[in-house]
Amino acid sequence: MSLGHDELSSPTPNLFTPPRRRFFTGRRGLAASTISSVLLVAALVSVFFWAPGSASVRYYFFNGHDMWQSFIGHPQTGLLSVGKGFFTNIWMCLVCEVLILILGLGVAWIRVSRSPVLYPFRVLATAYTDVFRGIPLLLVVFMVGFGLPSMQLGFLTTQSPDVYGCMALTITYTAYVAEVFRAGIYSVPNGQILAARSLGLTHATTMRRVTLPQGVRTVIPPLLNDFISLQKDTALVSVLGAIEAARAAQIYASTTFNGSGLVVASLLFLAITIPLTRFTDRLLDRDRSRRLAALA
Amino acid sequence: MTDAPSNDVVLDLDHVVKRFGDHEVLSGVSLKLHRHEVVCLIGASGSGKSTLLRCANLLETIDGGDISLFGQSLLDEYIDPDLVRRHVGMVFQSFNLFPHLSVLDNILLGPVRALKRKAADVHDEALALLDRIGLRERANDFPDRLSGGQQQRVAIVRSLAMQPALLLLDEVTSALDPTLVGEVLDLLRDLAAQGTTMLVATHEMNFARDVARQVAYLDKGVLVEQGTPDQMFNHPQHESTRTFLERVR
Amino acid sequence: MRTFRLLLAGLFGASAFTGVTFTSGPAGASSSALATCRTTINAEEYAKGKLTVATDNPVYTPWFVNNKPSNGKGFESALAYAIAATLGISKSNVVWAYEPFDNSYTPGPKKFDFDINEISYTAQRAKAVTFSESYYNVTQSIVTLQGSVVAKKHSPAQLKTYLYGDQIGTTGLAYIYNHIHPTQQPRVYSTLDAAVLALQTGQINAIVVDTPDGQYMATSEVENAKKKADGLQVGQFPSTGEHYGLLFKKGNPLVGCINVALNTLKSNGTLASLTTKWLNIYTSVPVIKP
Repeated sequence: MSLGHDELSSPTPNLFTPPRRRFFTGRRGLAASTISSVLLVAALVSVFFWAPGSASVRYYFFNGHDMWQSFIGHPQTGLLSVGKGFFTNIWMCLVCEVLILILGLGVAWIRVSRSPVLYPFRVLATAYTDVFRGIPLLLVVFMVGFGLPSMQLGFLTTQSPDVYGCMALTITYTAYVAEVFRAGIYSVPNGQILAARSLGLTHATTMRRVTLPQGVRTVIPPLLNDFISLQKDTALVSVLGAIEAARAAQIYASTTFNGSGLVVASLLFLAITIPLTRFTDRLLDRDRSRRLAALA
Repeated sequence: MTDAPSNDVVLDLDHVVKRFGDHEVLSGVSLKLHRHEVVCLIGASGSGKSTLLRCANLLETIDGGDISLFGQSLLDEYIDPDLVRRHVGMVFQSFNLFPHLSVLDNILLGPVRALKRKAADVHDEALALLDRIGLRERANDFPDRLSGGQQQRVAIVRSLAMQPALLLLDEVTSALDPTLVGEVLDLLRDLAAQGTTMLVATHEMNFARDVARQVAYLDKGVLVEQGTPDQMFNHPQHESTRTFLERVR
Repeated sequence: MRTFRLLLAGLFGASAFTGVTFTSGPAGASSSALATCRTTINAEEYAKGKLTVATDNPVYTPWFVNNKPSNGKGFESALAYAIAATLGISKSNVVWAYEPFDNSYTPGPKKFDFDINEISYTAQRAKAVTFSESYYNVTQSIVTLQGSVVAKKHSPAQLKTYLYGDQIGTTGLAYIYNHIHPTQQPRVYSTLDAAVLALQTGQINAIVVDTPDGQYMATSEVENAKKKADGLQVGQFPSTGEHYGLLFKKGNPLVGCINVALNTLKSNGTLASLTTKWLNIYTSVPVIKP
């Protein structure tokens, strides 16, 4: 019973928060967070308005008149509309993303297959994902956009630069997305597969009805991240001569020496990517709370 | 209490050998399962019970010996494993219900996708099965809403929906809270009473004593002893059987 | 005797003095300005004691040769060294810096004394930087592939129908918008090489570029698969008064002395002989209307 402890020599442990940390609890904590936010915002605002040189920054980058001019453009003098250019970014992103998801799933399926017939395809798929996750996207854009047309293969070589840009984006992003899908497939617990096969479901049916529905759900957050990244990479099509938002902004800047168009282009991109990142975060939180609730 | 077992041998395990790398998990296990018979496998963890069950429905391939189902050797090169598994149901320790499907869809998946039956036809059968275990009103719930015992009973019923010739049960109560074990065992008793052919790996000795026709004791991959419950529990012949039964009593 | 020698010395001095003043004239005025510059120039340099001249990389014939500005070959390289020599700066004190074309005419401090890179004077650019006086009057020309439809059909109406490509921010691109008014949106590339690549791969019909650049491009740069020169400079457009100037940071006082040196080279014929030596063949390109 007694383990040799003396009442007097082992005092009751102190379980209370130290006084200093206690200071920021309750209402004082609320006041503290309000004050610190106000101070931070005030500091940023004062830098923006009163730092030496901020006037020229505001003129060259945050100038309302130029922001509007660059947004609407004036094609006759070669000033292209940033707003119109952004449509190129959007359609490229949407079309390419659909292709990427479909092809990525296909490549992942091939990589996880075990049929002997598919052996050479498995090898090709592995080589493909290795190579195109290794080459910088800019290089792929160049090689596709300038290399394909020079091959003189009929319709393949007479597309507009947006199409080649989309091809380059698809080729590169499919490699990444295929690996994400593969990770998702492998994350499905083995017991699920055993149960499905024990019911007599074939390998393909198991994949389709049991593995993929679960695996794909798991990797939706990383897929969303790739989608956000894709949206920004559509700007690379400009190296092929196509006019998209960032390029239109550059043209405006190089003609008028005012960079406000660049800010406009950035804001347009953010208008798409920020809602997506917030949505991804919410999905992750919801998923996490579900998993933790299941453990409880 | 149980139907008289026929002389039809449903499952014939003949000197089955299974190795994982250098480690021999099953060393020449021989066992026969007759129609309407319940055979219980007992033994310590790692004795090879689960492996033996998985060999029986071709989830594992064997390295020696033979397995016959309905008199046909499963080692024949033209045997279709998927077809075999449609006749052999399996229930797992960790239930393995499909979390992305409702309880009803879990039950329908096998008959509709493997047996290619029409969903409308199977629908009523599935509900009847759920009714039998008192979970009809949970048909549209998802597995995460059910207790462990409820999930396991749904898992059993999911296998039954395939109308298998025999049922393999791999320690189906071991992962359950003790208060939930009873409802699962009751279901199994009912099935046994109806003459379902079952090969049950279990730690539940009372269940084995009540329901099994034969009890087989496995120790490190060797079938040490086999006999009726009375023989095994009251007059075990081998030393290791005795030691084991002492420990679990 | 002593007075006689004094008188002789005075007479000699006076005549020498008048001789100098009479022979000075305008040349004398600039030579004194030049003399002043030679002494003041060090103080105005970006890197004291050195003349820092900037240009792009890569740079092409006929402006530079073999992409090495320091070898003194090519019109602009030779001109830079001639200016330096006029100001008393030895060849070894001329250092070359790198400045990409689109950066050069943006406002802000510069890491060089002046930039020489076929930069045309425009009023827009002059708001952001300071230009020297002209050192070359330039026309735009149109470059395409041999056998292209552009070679035969280049009336103003036909020129409107073609698909052009050009480097961003160049006067060539501006010429396309302001004078040609094509119906198809021209392609805008980050570099001239990309535009050349697009021409070679058949993605665009033609490039508009300064006449000397166009001549070099057509005869050496544009190649087909058999490594044979495949370009064709169809013609040059009438002058729009465009000229090249040396580019300085806005308000750089150094431009005064550089202009003095430039004028010296113009008046003593050096500029003309350099132009003939390096750029002579370009005057024979036919003129076509936009």
